[in-house]
Amino acid sequence: MTIHNAIKAAVVAAVGFGTAAQAQETVVWWDFLGGGDGARMKQLIDRFNQEHQGEITIDATTLEWGMPFYTRVQTAAAVGEAADVIMYHASRIPLAVEQGILQPLTAEDWQAMGLGQDDYAPATWDAVTVEDQQYAVPFDTHPIVLYFNKDILEAAGVLDENGLPMGMDSREGFTETLRALKEHGVRFPLGSVTADGNFMFRTIYSLMGQQDGELMTDGEFLAGDNGEKLENALSVLAEWTDEGLQSTYTDYPATVALFTSGEAAMMINGVWEVPTMTDLSAQGQLFEWGAVELPVIFDHPSTYADSHAFAIPANRGREMAPEKRAAVLEVISWMANNSLFWATAGHIPAYESVTASAEYQAMEPNATYSSLTQNMIFDPRSPLAGISGPIFDVMSTYFVPTLNGEMEPAEAVEMIRDELNAL
Amino acid sequence: MLTNRRKDAWIAAVLVAPFLAIYLLVFVYPTIQMVMTSFTDAPLIGDGAFVGTENYERLPSDPRFRTAAWNTAYFVALTVIPGTIVALAIALGVSRLAGRMQAAILALFFLPYILPVSVVYLIWDWVLNFQFGILMHLFDLLGIDRVPITKSRDWFMPAVAVVTIWWTSGFSILLFLAGLRSIPPEIYEAAELDNAGRWTTFRRITWPLLWPVTSLVFTISLISQLKIFDQVYLFSQGGRPNDNLVLVYYIFQRAFQQNQSGRAAAVAVVLFILVIVVSVLQFQLLRLAGGRK
Repeated sequence: MTIHNAIKAAVVAAVGFGTAAQAQETVVWWDFLGGGDGARMKQLIDRFNQEHQGEITIDATTLEWGMPFYTRVQTAAAVGEAADVIMYHASRIPLAVEQGILQPLTAEDWQAMGLGQDDYAPATWDAVTVEDQQYAVPFDTHPIVLYFNKDILEAAGVLDENGLPMGMDSREGFTETLRALKEHGVRFPLGSVTADGNFMFRTIYSLMGQQDGELMTDGEFLAGDNGEKLENALSVLAEWTDEGLQSTYTDYPATVALFTSGEAAMMINGVWEVPTMTDLSAQGQLFEWGAVELPVIFDHPSTYADSHAFAIPANRGREMAPEKRAAVLEVISWMANNSLFWATAGHIPAYESVTASAEYQAMEPNATYSSLTQNMIFDPRSPLAGISGPIFDVMSTYFVPTLNGEMEPAEAVEMIRDELNAL
Repeated sequence: MLTNRRKDAWIAAVLVAPFLAIYLLVFVYPTIQMVMTSFTDAPLIGDGAFVGTENYERLPSDPRFRTAAWNTAYFVALTVIPGTIVALAIALGVSRLAGRMQAAILALFFLPYILPVSVVYLIWDWVLNFQFGILMHLFDLLGIDRVPITKSRDWFMPAVAVVTIWWTSGFSILLFLAGLRSIPPEIYEAAELDNAGRWTTFRRITWPLLWPVTSLVFTISLISQLKIFDQVYLFSQGGRPNDNLVLVYYIFQRAFQQNQSGRAAAVAVVLFILVIVVSVLQFQLLRLAGGRK
């Protein structure tokens, strides 16, 4: 490497192009974006490569989302084979820091990128921070929202004058809306991912947040009355199942299929499904649809979110050259500045200059649901948290039977509390 | 003929060396490392402090370990003997066919075996899926209530067992067929002359002469089913993972999800010993049972 560079420098100096010729850097990039957002990320990467021709090239690989991705990153970093820049869920940063697989970002790094704390919402900034040190650059936040089929809701008479579902402000109100849809003959008023407890964690945690519930208090799980709040959250969903208001034992792809085929009138899902809807809509294969912040079932609005962030792996035994680091920082910075396009993937850009722009505020359906950024809650800051983490598995094991009427919410809460505290 | 013993030994050593080197490197060395790790509190990456037998002492009172051990035993019971019987029955049927027909039918039965596990999972998810599975539409037609097969504790292991037998029996069928072909036809002709019925022929000739193959199939599937992981992992994604735990899944959870290599290694050592003990015991038992006849 050094000899190679020395020779190159000598050649460059000899020819006299000292200022013009810069070594071309290749930035190896790993992400886990396999869906509609992956296609949009590819466009962003292509644009970056075009604009940086002869200087920086991103060599991107998309790996399988979730456990396969994180298993690979952990082991690759340990032997110095991980990429130069990777996409990371903020919820998994505490574990990554404990394992020492991410490089901290220094003040100089932030300066080089032209980004800083003031550019992000406080909750988002906290999500990438462990003990006052940042380990990733937030790229977006991706909460869950309520998707709805305007055609069906209108026909059932539960669409208000603003084109939004009725009964969004209370448990009774929303349940009434669901009942009205059922009476109208809709097979599933609400499409819920009831076969996938991992996924339902997002909804249930949001409902806990609506009661100011905490999953983890000073290292203890479900301390005090938090168990009760979890039970409340589970009870609402169990009640909808009992009344036949939501789909049972439905996995993720089936839920999306139920909604897009019109068999489910509404669906709670991540904003990352927005491209699915816009793409289908563009092909003329979808009804009139909308997406809005979750209904307020309890005291106040609250929505679970996670953040896609860019991180630099700590490759063991492989020092990162300053030129390479500069190139990586340029990649991250460029992506932040061009994240308006990323909003077409449904995600909410984390960089606030973008979300403050007039162009962003004119985007639909983003503008309808972006009010929820005030009410976002993230995972507890623990190495046990995050997607595909141990908390998810414990939750999932008890959520699935509870949401499908096989187990009482109170019993589930007891088991969850015991198992989480035994982790 | 005179041979140079020294030279022979040298040649033998050279020929064995590549295998020995690889064996030591990728099997013996990691195994020793694993045993050593099991006495530490190591995370997934890097070393840990020595903690004695603490990781082992925790196991008997660890509910997840107990679920995993129980499910593994249950799965072995559901697959090993039934799987061997199914393979034997199919092999007997296929051996009665001749020529191209036999090749075609054999290919049909062998086809699933060449599929990767992820494809097997997808195919069966299309069948078993609660909302869109083909089987559920069949249930609807017959007026039976839909069953969330991969999401219920009672149905999960039996379903995965059926899928596993469907997937892996092709290999056992091949072994059985080879065994059946090696039985000399003269014996069957003699039996026919003696007016032996089909059942008697099977019980007195085919079964005992096939015994070495049967015990081999049995042992191979026992070992591979004790190490079950892929199917269980895929089918329980998002479902009820902690209810469906098997031993290798639990090792994976501890090591990769909870960053506790030490505790994972302890479970791995237990499984390692279990596989050795069970398979040696079983092979000896089967040999004895075969020898008695």
